[in-house]
Amino acid sequence: MKKGKITVAITITITCFALTTVMFMQFKIVKETDITSIETMREEELRTELANWKQLYNEADEQYQEKSEKLKEYREKQQSTEESTKLIEKELSQIDMYLGKTEVQGEGIIINIKDINNDEEIPPISAEDLLVIVDYLKLAGAEAISINEQRIVNMSDIVYVNNSIIYVNQQRILAPYVINAIGDSVTLESTLLGNGGYVETLKNIGFEVDIQRQNKVIIPKYNKEIGHKYIQ
Amino acid sequence: MIFFSILIACLLGVVVGLNTPMISYTYSSYLAIAIIAALDSVFGGISSVIDKKFNMKTFISGFFGNAILAILLTVLGEKLNVDIYLAAIVVFVGRMFMNLGNIRRYYVEKWTEKIKNRTQKQKNS
Repeated sequence: MKKGKITVAITITITCFALTTVMFMQFKIVKETDITSIETMREEELRTELANWKQLYNEADEQYQEKSEKLKEYREKQQSTEESTKLIEKELSQIDMYLGKTEVQGEGIIINIKDINNDEEIPPISAEDLLVIVDYLKLAGAEAISINEQRIVNMSDIVYVNNSIIYVNQQRILAPYVINAIGDSVTLESTLLGNGGYVETLKNIGFEVDIQRQNKVIIPKYNKEIGHKYIQ
Repeated sequence: MIFFSILIACLLGVVVGLNTPMISYTYSSYLAIAIIAALDSVFGGISSVIDKKFNMKTFISGFFGNAILAILLTVLGEKLNVDIYLAAIVVFVGRMFMNLGNIRRYYVEKWTEKIKNRTQKQKNS
């Protein structure tokens, strides 16, 4: 044999070997791919699968977002109703306080008036005197007033029956009279005392009137029902 | 001698090919196109042997070069999202058919001549 023929034979052998090797590798791959799953799955198939899952995920995520938003809305609503309830309660308690339905306390003054019964020249303390004092207190900015534990409210009455008995809130009250008022104590005191003050006048007549400024004056609640029968 | 070595090489290739580790299916399309290119080269080689134009260097370079080029083109097609391997398959398979036709024609002519000669010899004798 020639030398050239040997090299030809060798190269052809090598090429044949390479070709059959690759071919059978491919056969094997194709054959096994039908059986095996994801690991040898085609990239496209994996991609479509992945896309499917992504879509599912997106849908689920969307639903989740929607639901959580709704939940948030509900929570906000709940909170707002709670807040409004609190606000209304606060307003209600404030209004109760203003109406005199609750016991209140604060800075203010206590006025003690002792009546004189023995002296015949001086008439005893009348309802008008108390009314004037109450009015002055109101003028001075009193926020709550009581006479002998009777809270003075809008519909309170201070009347003199038979020129001898004082009724406040339809209840008889007796001397000594104690008037409690909550407000700026200095203003309240100075309105009643001083030149032209009504307490000064009473003092000049001869009554024993004593005004105390206090940091904590307690005024009881109005103990009658506030209601309506005829208002329509 | 040559046919014997080719047979041995083919058997060895089968054994080695069946015992190689699995390659991911993703690369199998590249491998397939390389196989088509190599087969084309082989048939081209046989055809050129018949035409007596066989050149060893051309054959070897065509065998490996075409396979590698086909793989590279397929990769490029994948990157460009164009199925270039289809074009490669069309070209290679078309050439394969041409070469096979060439081989077939050669052998058919050869055999018909042989048969003619035989009948002529019988007539002569």
